[in-house]
Amino acid sequence: MISKQTPQELAASLLAAALLLPGVQAHADEPPRNGSISLRYLDYADRQPGLDRIHAHSPSVSVTAPVAGDWSVEGTLTADDVSGASPRYHTAISGASHMEDERKAGDFAVTRYFRRGTLTAGAAYSTEHDYVSRALSLNGTLSSEDNNTTWAFGLAGSRDSINPVNNVVVDEHKRTVSVLAGVTRVLTPNDIAQLTLTRTNGSGYYNDPYKLFDNRPRSRRENTVLLRWNHYVDATGGTTRLGYRYYSDSFRIRAHTLSGEYVQPLANGWTIAPELRLYTQSAAWFYYDPVYDATLGAPFPPGFSNGADPNRLSSPDQRLSGFGAVTVGLKVAREIGKLWTVDVKVEEYEQRGSWRLFHDGSPGLAPLRARVLQVGLTRRW
Amino acid sequence: MVDAVDRFPFEAMASRCEIRLAAPNARTAEGLAQAAIAEVRRIERTYSRYRADSIVSRINAAAGRHRVECDDETWQLLAYADHLYGASGGLFDITSGVLRRAWDFRKPRVPGPDELAPLLALVDWTAVRREDGAVFLPRAGMEIDFGGFGKEYAADRACALLQQRGVRHGYVNLGGDMRFIGPQPDGRPWSIGIQDPRKPDGIAASIAVSQGALTTSGDYERCFDLDGKRYCHVLNPRTGMPVSHWRSVSVLAPLAALGGSVSTIAMLKEADALAFLEASGLAYFVIDSAGNAHHHSISGDYAS
Amino acid sequence: MKVRIFFPLIASALLAQAGCTTVQPWEKGKLAKPEMTFGGDRLETRYADHIYTSREAAAGGAGVGGGGCGCN
Repeated sequence: MISKQTPQELAASLLAAALLLPGVQAHADEPPRNGSISLRYLDYADRQPGLDRIHAHSPSVSVTAPVAGDWSVEGTLTADDVSGASPRYHTAISGASHMEDERKAGDFAVTRYFRRGTLTAGAAYSTEHDYVSRALSLNGTLSSEDNNTTWAFGLAGSRDSINPVNNVVVDEHKRTVSVLAGVTRVLTPNDIAQLTLTRTNGSGYYNDPYKLFDNRPRSRRENTVLLRWNHYVDATGGTTRLGYRYYSDSFRIRAHTLSGEYVQPLANGWTIAPELRLYTQSAAWFYYDPVYDATLGAPFPPGFSNGADPNRLSSPDQRLSGFGAVTVGLKVAREIGKLWTVDVKVEEYEQRGSWRLFHDGSPGLAPLRARVLQVGLTRRW
Repeated sequence: MVDAVDRFPFEAMASRCEIRLAAPNARTAEGLAQAAIAEVRRIERTYSRYRADSIVSRINAAAGRHRVECDDETWQLLAYADHLYGASGGLFDITSGVLRRAWDFRKPRVPGPDELAPLLALVDWTAVRREDGAVFLPRAGMEIDFGGFGKEYAADRACALLQQRGVRHGYVNLGGDMRFIGPQPDGRPWSIGIQDPRKPDGIAASIAVSQGALTTSGDYERCFDLDGKRYCHVLNPRTGMPVSHWRSVSVLAPLAALGGSVSTIAMLKEADALAFLEASGLAYFVIDSAGNAHHHSISGDYAS
Repeated sequence: MKVRIFFPLIASALLAQAGCTTVQPWEKGKLAKPEMTFGGDRLETRYADHIYTSREAAAGGAGVGGGGCGCN
């Protein structure tokens, strides 16, 4: 029967007819995934002019294993060895508190694979001398028939217990609940993009007990919008990885993060990846600049001697000030055989009030610099 | 599993064939490949013109005499052939195999109209009667054969069999028509060369494929040249003469049976091929009689 | 302020619109490369998140459920 069909009808009818042929398509389960074990070591050191601050060494191990066809499990263990000094207020050297702490953390997740999606349940636990954190999460993904669009959903909650060694408070708590919604989309054979929205509501103890005059709200609502785009460059065989994150919270902090990485495979299994990250944030509304009370001087906030409410919210924490930051990094990796990968990554980070974009940053804070070194080893099976 | 890829060459359907797959160990790979090869040989035996006991031979022997009952597989292959007849505007006709009696591609001789006329009278798909699970060829001397998509169908079946048994990386290559089981074990696509129609060892283009099928129809597989003109084995069912517009047509499709049909129909459509390929929605790479390449949606490196 | 609302809206509109021509399974070879996925090295991502969370106010973005710490 010869018929005149439109192009779409022709394409659809040819494929439909071919699919009717017996036994030409397998009804396959989800493909088995590779397993892997990774070891990684981090060496972190930050400093400000005149003061070496925090130094941290952190080994960690992570295992991912497919189980029984439709499942996989993964687990991670980390130990942080942290020591050093951090200012008790702003970037004042004389008021530095010396500390030494060891943090151990572990997490475990189980994933079930379905025809068009996944479901992952996870638990995390972390403990230090003064801080214990427990978290549970449930994440799911759902893909379209053509696998070009994937939606993601997540729900998580955490409960932290805080017992600072200086006993400024005893047995404080913090609880958070987070939700996530996202979509990943294959745009072209060379492009894939992802949009993720998260929202976190938290209540409890947010103060830093080791900083003076640190009194923060007992609740915090946070929102993030993350847009990522990976692009394969045919001419070089390399990949550009770009990301932008917008963050805003009820402390009235607004932050923009722009990150870019270029991954270039070279001959003999070598890969080189330079990265650049630009960050800017506004100060929390209750952050106060290093301008002190006229009578009492540092570290007292202005108005303290005039009988201002001692319970008013304030914080001299540099992390809540307005600043801009730049990270420059380079990662070099080598694939050895089909099973092993080794990599080395070095990064330099600098944070300055004057680098804040769009508005003035918080004045009077010494720039913070950090050096990060990582070494990693992965074996697949 | 990140495995090595094993190769299993063999001969079938009058062509050099090869199965490549990744499996946990050599013995498993051998077992899987043998099972797939057995399926290819089964299809070859079942649909071979040259075996007196095959269903195709029995149908052809009964032409003009009686109907022959066929099994589900054959019934569905005939239904597909009918669909292709309609989609190609009558150019893809599985009764056109009789023209083979006039064309012997081992000798450079062009048959005359008096030789072709009686054979052309036997080429008529619309006359074939399919009813109640049985098929009847009404005129003595009529023949059907599945050469137009039989190899590609076998490639799809072999691939499905391997996928059913858990193979995720590899491909089935039957005489240049390929169906991919999955990418290389590290996730990278296979780099497949499309043969240069005029140089037996040359490559016209390298195409990166990790899934689906890559099929090629060309004027160089069985052919002869006479007085500077190429005569190939793809014959127009209405004139009995070879097509000459394209040197080769390669198509990327989800199934080899689909790709093979579309590439053959494109060869038959001659000047109308590009419109047909566009309408099919598939990626293609074609080389015309002047040696110029045209392509759409195909990624890879092109020599031209 | 307005720019900050528009940007994610434009981004999501682009994401929905873009890629109207469907990418076929056999064209997805490059997308399977590890550097083209969004996962990245698990431990490397964790270290980065941990470092930035302890030096900056903004946190998270790509996932939920990591738990906290008393980072100083």
